[in-house]
Amino acid sequence: MLSVPDALSVLLRALSLVLVLQAAGAALCLALFGRELADSLATARRLGSIAAASGAVCVVAHLALQAGRMAGDLSGMLDGSLLRLALTSTAGSASALSVLGLALIACALTARRTGVAVIGTALVTASFTLTGHTSVSPHRWILCLLLPAHLLIVAFWFGALPVLYLASLKESPARAARIVDRFSSVATWLVPGILLAGLALAALLVANLGVLRQPYGELLLAKLGGFALLMGLASLNKWRLAPAMARADPGALIAFRRSVAAELALIVAVLAVTAVMTTLFSPD
Amino acid sequence: MRPLAILPALALLVAMTVAEAHAHLRSAVPADGSSVATPPSRVVLRFSEAARLTAAWIARNAAPREPLRPLPDRAARELALSLPTLAPGRYVVSWRALSADGHIMPGEVRFTVLARGMIGHAPEHATGDATGHAPGPSSP
Repeated sequence: MLSVPDALSVLLRALSLVLVLQAAGAALCLALFGRELADSLATARRLGSIAAASGAVCVVAHLALQAGRMAGDLSGMLDGSLLRLALTSTAGSASALSVLGLALIACALTARRTGVAVIGTALVTASFTLTGHTSVSPHRWILCLLLPAHLLIVAFWFGALPVLYLASLKESPARAARIVDRFSSVATWLVPGILLAGLALAALLVANLGVLRQPYGELLLAKLGGFALLMGLASLNKWRLAPAMARADPGALIAFRRSVAAELALIVAVLAVTAVMTTLFSPD
Repeated sequence: MRPLAILPALALLVAMTVAEAHAHLRSAVPADGSSVATPPSRVVLRFSEAARLTAAWIARNAAPREPLRPLPDRAARELALSLPTLAPGRYVVSWRALSADGHIMPGEVRFTVLARGMIGHAPEHATGDATGHAPGPSSP
């Protein structure tokens, strides 16, 4: 039976992952496609800033909750020695770097300095290597390259979806089709990297195939299943819906929005599974 | 849009229901599930990696758990907890530990202190493997 701090920690971790990767991805996406956007640019920037600011709040709250988890109940969040232990742990260092990156993204997007926001994205993704199994693994240096690469591509994909949705709502159909086409041409090359880096990470972290019969492995397989569904939706967008948008077929825009919403929901589900997996289970 | 909005919540719920323990405790004295004739004055926990205890409790039979203090003030693979004088009964010693990679692992060990009349009816296991219930998390 999960304790209250454990359950809250999983929920906050899931929310943090969603907001942090949204913010990191929005910065990347705006750096790559910002010039293509006209009527949706300001809203996309504002959404990225809001995700970064609220993500930073979640990261800090999640760290404070670590003290509650250490005590076994929420009163630990008021215990100075446990809070100090949380702050000085590897989770404390990772949270500090993440908050710094998110603050940079929030400020830079508000000030329309997309290049600076991308530095924030780099800090945020690097922060994941400071804690967890990556931080103590004998394969640390390989993991420190693979994990940020995996997260950068996930962030790019995840952060682009609201931008594409907004473009389909606010831009002219021709411009929206052009933006979707540009995104698809970049994503086609990048997105398989999620699977490659993810499999390499699993190979280095998972001790043996027996783990696949344990909860950690089952959740890993659930993530793979979610990824397969996402690839199906992404292929539908690229090969069917984007060309239909370019031809201005009736109903194409609405079908595209539905497909993007489904992709968003699936990625959030995969991140929720990741939160459970990384909070409660171990690959060894 | 509603079915889509439910999807992440459903994934979280399903994943959390399979969130059972993952063993990180290598062994304990008294061992998990053991019966002892002499009430132990301490519990020794041996972890797979260095850990720091952040909270520990003991509960007898169905009574509410009581905190165990003092806790060791440093991280180590082997940690000892002093116990109060134990009367015959079934005990659960539970804890929370912080590992070097920043993760927090809960765990527990169950043992029975035999009454005088029961000695000879049940074997004494003072040592052996113990499987604690400790989820140990990881990087994404």
